[in-house]
Amino acid sequence: MKVSLEWLSEYVDLVLSPERLADVLSMAGTEVERIHTLGARVSGVVVARVVKVKEHPNADRLRIAVVDDGAAEREVVCGAPNLKAGMVSALALPGALLPASPDTGLSESVIRGVMSHGMLLSEDELGLSDDRGGIIELEAGAVVGSDIHEVLPLEDMVLELEITPNRPDCMSVVGIAREVAALTGGEFRWPYREPVEDGGPAGDLLKVRLVDRIGCPRYSARVVTGVEIRPSPAWMQRRLVASGMRPISNVVDITNYVLLEMGQPLHAFDMDLLTDTTIVVRKAEPGERMTTLDGVERALDEDCLMIADAARAVAIAGIMGGEDSEVTDATRNVVIESAYFDPTAVMLTSRRLALRTEASSRFERGTDPGGTARAADRAAELMRELAGGTVAVGVIDEYPEPIVPVAIELRPDRVNRVLGTDIEASEMAGILGRLEAEVEGKDALRVTAPTFRPDLEREIDLIEEIARVHGYDRIPSLLPAGGGLVAGLTREQVRQAKLVDGLVSLGLSEAITYSFMRPGDLELMRLSAEDPLRGAVTLINPVAETGEAMRTTLLPGLLRLASSNLNKGNRDLAVFECGRVFMAGAEGGLPEEVERVGILICGRVSDAGWPTEDRAADFFDLKGLVEDALSICGTAVKAVFSPAEAVFLLRGRAAELLLDSELAGLLGQLDPAVAVAFDIDCEVYVAEMSRDLLTGAADVPRPYVPVGRFPNVKVDIAVVVDSSVEARQIEEEIHVRGGELLRAARLFDVYEGPQIPEGRKSLAYALEFGSAEGTLTDTEAHERMDGIIEGLRERFGASIRGRDSIQEDS
Amino acid sequence: MDDLEKLNELTEGRPELARLVQESLEEIGACRDGEDLEHARIRLLGKKGTVTGLFKGLAGLTTGDKKVLGQTGNLLRKLIEERLDEKGRELAGAARSQAGRALDVTLPGRRPRIGHKHLLTQVTEEITSIFVSLGYQVVVGPEVELDYYNFEALNQPPYHPARSLHDTLYVSRKDPHRESPDDVLLRTHTSPVQVRVMESRRPPLYVISPGKAYRKDEIDATHSAMFHQVEGFAVGTDITMGHLKGTLEVFARKLFGEERDVRFRPHFFPFTEPSAEVDVSCHGCGGSGCAICKRSGWLEILGSGMIDPRVFEYVGYDPEEYTGFAFGVGVERVAMLKYAIDDMRVFFENDARFLRQY
Ligand SMILES: [Zn+2]
Repeated sequence: MKVSLEWLSEYVDLVLSPERLADVLSMAGTEVERIHTLGARVSGVVVARVVKVKEHPNADRLRIAVVDDGAAEREVVCGAPNLKAGMVSALALPGALLPASPDTGLSESVIRGVMSHGMLLSEDELGLSDDRGGIIELEAGAVVGSDIHEVLPLEDMVLELEITPNRPDCMSVVGIAREVAALTGGEFRWPYREPVEDGGPAGDLLKVRLVDRIGCPRYSARVVTGVEIRPSPAWMQRRLVASGMRPISNVVDITNYVLLEMGQPLHAFDMDLLTDTTIVVRKAEPGERMTTLDGVERALDEDCLMIADAARAVAIAGIMGGEDSEVTDATRNVVIESAYFDPTAVMLTSRRLALRTEASSRFERGTDPGGTARAADRAAELMRELAGGTVAVGVIDEYPEPIVPVAIELRPDRVNRVLGTDIEASEMAGILGRLEAEVEGKDALRVTAPTFRPDLEREIDLIEEIARVHGYDRIPSLLPAGGGLVAGLTREQVRQAKLVDGLVSLGLSEAITYSFMRPGDLELMRLSAEDPLRGAVTLINPVAETGEAMRTTLLPGLLRLASSNLNKGNRDLAVFECGRVFMAGAEGGLPEEVERVGILICGRVSDAGWPTEDRAADFFDLKGLVEDALSICGTAVKAVFSPAEAVFLLRGRAAELLLDSELAGLLGQLDPAVAVAFDIDCEVYVAEMSRDLLTGAADVPRPYVPVGRFPNVKVDIAVVVDSSVEARQIEEEIHVRGGELLRAARLFDVYEGPQIPEGRKSLAYALEFGSAEGTLTDTEAHERMDGIIEGLRERFGASIRGRDSIQEDS
Repeated sequence: MDDLEKLNELTEGRPELARLVQESLEEIGACRDGEDLEHARIRLLGKKGTVTGLFKGLAGLTTGDKKVLGQTGNLLRKLIEERLDEKGRELAGAARSQAGRALDVTLPGRRPRIGHKHLLTQVTEEITSIFVSLGYQVVVGPEVELDYYNFEALNQPPYHPARSLHDTLYVSRKDPHRESPDDVLLRTHTSPVQVRVMESRRPPLYVISPGKAYRKDEIDATHSAMFHQVEGFAVGTDITMGHLKGTLEVFARKLFGEERDVRFRPHFFPFTEPSAEVDVSCHGCGGSGCAICKRSGWLEILGSGMIDPRVFEYVGYDPEEYTGFAFGVGVERVAMLKYAIDDMRVFFENDARFLRQY
């Protein structure tokens, strides 16, 4: 909300600088987001009266105004359509400084052959508003020749405020003035004046019937007859503009002015356009329609609260008036509606119609039920003053069950217990009193909040008020004693952190992708309709850009990541993501959320550097990362990789990871067809695993294996077997035969080619034998070797190519 | 006693022998390369060499002298052999030291690929660890939540715009027009963890809960449909707003620097009262105003407040017995402020060049 300081100063003395005031308001909960300065420097502009208007000899659109500047008459050329003799306007004299040219004075100039000795100004040219439809029309009483600053407050500061939802009362100049008075100790002055009533009794002209008393607990109205519609005075227009509203005409501007001033939304009906003299407040009828002020025809239903006459709806209560009872230039007699509508009723209507207005946003938060009549009075009096209207006697005020605020019990010791303060009860009473609450009692206080503070219902609400006005900065800071708490990370959380650290240490960078996916993503991955991953949780109102389902796998996100990076020229990727996938649960229940770890690599294995190994990543790089991740986690159970099939992985290049026989993940090369579907033009390797199986399997500490104080005997052998034999089987056999003296068996070469028979392959292993008891002799090692070779021959028909032995330090 | 000391003892009173030993060792010491060393070996140990000469001189000596001379010769040969070997290794090492070709040491080093934690994870860990050090436990909760935990039990009034299809992503709604506690939605903050923890445990509670949250926002520089928060709360019989201030001051200074000022501004949240937004003096300008703080000198870093008694009523705590405070930190916001990032989208685009920066 925007509040003009010039306007505000009418209701409270502003003793602080704008910046200091902004600070004080911010520190009391009404955040000042910005301070605007309105009206640039203007000089050399005086009030002038148009004496006579003459035709321009050379231009149809231009005329010559003879103006009285207080000292003499002078001729100026003017193109404004509203120029007419007798009007009072603003005249820039030669040499005047205007916002558009703050450094160069206005010069006399010849316009289409006629000398112009000055310039009549529009609001736009004065920096008041962006209205350039005509020259500014000042009040007829303004003293001709006086400086414009004496008539128009051109320079003003406007505070842009963020009003929290609990403070509807602050959505008005009066509300902010009250707040400023309470915070700075100043005196708050009401803008209220008793209206001068010189018409007939209002009750004879209009009746009000409340059908829906829940939706509308109070309806006040005033009738003003004989108004003359014309522009509102410049001071009012200026305040409206400063507050972000467009001036329209005096009657409409007055309703807006009172809305901004008192926070009470008003609506003005053209009384002659109402079907009869009774206003009815009711719910809309099924199928009812009406066209609102903005020209939109709206379909209504029973949720909508309406203002109607005998024949039809004339307004949507608290939101917007109807087109066919609108105040126009022809309006003579006006009904001013000033009601208290139930916040929920207005909110429901506003939501149903998707229509929010200045009025609805105030009613929704709760206006002052005690202030409706006063606001109607204020508007009526302004219409009498500014539109020449006659105010009918009396307020029509339907208020069958007055809303009375309840007294709240306030225990001073409770206040101090919640805040951690030592505030005296008398100070509490003083603060609440300044906020216009009624306070009784000395120790236990009974507090009755004013009707404009619907947010004060409970003791805690009052505690907040005391804290806020006393000052949060005066509450002493302290750390809780705590004590005896079991804090810190759980063992599982420590392992989870270790997994992430481990993946990072392997050269993988962490990605965070959206938890959403498009169902199409799973089709691109070629997953069938029956696949469990297709059981996604979908959103009923998704954000289009990110997808309408919750992901059931991390892969689409990682593949899109790869695609966008590849397109940007980032060709070497090594990333992982730890995040949740969502598996649909029972209808209407919560899904199962499962923590997964995804890995994606592509491009070269090393990050540039000049003399580098320029090798493309392959399956075994991926598998190595997974193996190292397991090792870093400290997985104590047996990890087995087996050939696997998955529709999105290339056949023959996919494996599943089993931890203690439980399926923990899948890894392999992305099928090129799937890659193309995701706009990926290179080989990509992906893995997805269960985080909890990875880290959970590490809960049992691995027992220490003595590293051996004696040197190991190292032997290299190359085993030639049929190509179909799996390396895993050979390793199993080597370990079985090698027994506990075999400390390690490391594959260092795989060969298929000319020196090996067709359909066979050679696997070369570096074996290490050793014992904790002492140095092994060659004989002992060779006995084991013989056993291994015998086993491989028997089981796989293996032939052995080489057998070298060297002895080294372990 | 080593060989040299033994020799010195044997040759005591026999200056010509002592000189012989002395000169032999000096000759080895003076060798400058392998060739010198080979010459020295021949001169000292060869057929016509010093040691051989010594043994040749044995003939015609008394038994006692023979014995001394023989011992001296044997010891001297051993010592010379050792010294020659030692000198040989020394010279070989020196030769290798000189053989290396000069490198252009200004060429870049060959760096192994290193991984990077996502900046949001780093910031989350930083925030979390500060509270763990203050005695908090880490508890996480579901991202797909019931309206009850996300709104209802957090005192969010019915019909509030936050509860509408316009602001919140819904999985299912009981009634398409109205919200109900059974509606399933993507949590809009990490605060539902407060309710879940309080429902299942008794105070004292000191809990921190990092995680993802969601909002129906189109994605742009300052909005994201997914973001990260760290929720924290403390509940006990004597927790005050002073404790809230003390705790969050420690936190803000650990996160942004010990010299930062911290201020608490009244605000409104449905689930806390009194509520406060916490600002920290800008690290970019020290409070005088700059682009990071939009000239205000202050950075808003989190929302907080005393847990509303109604929330305690929902979880079955007696609000007369317990008080507590709660706060929520936006991880993206902290990361953007700390690292002067002006576009939220970089966090989720995962451009490899961004990931490698931190
Ligand atoms: Zn700054």
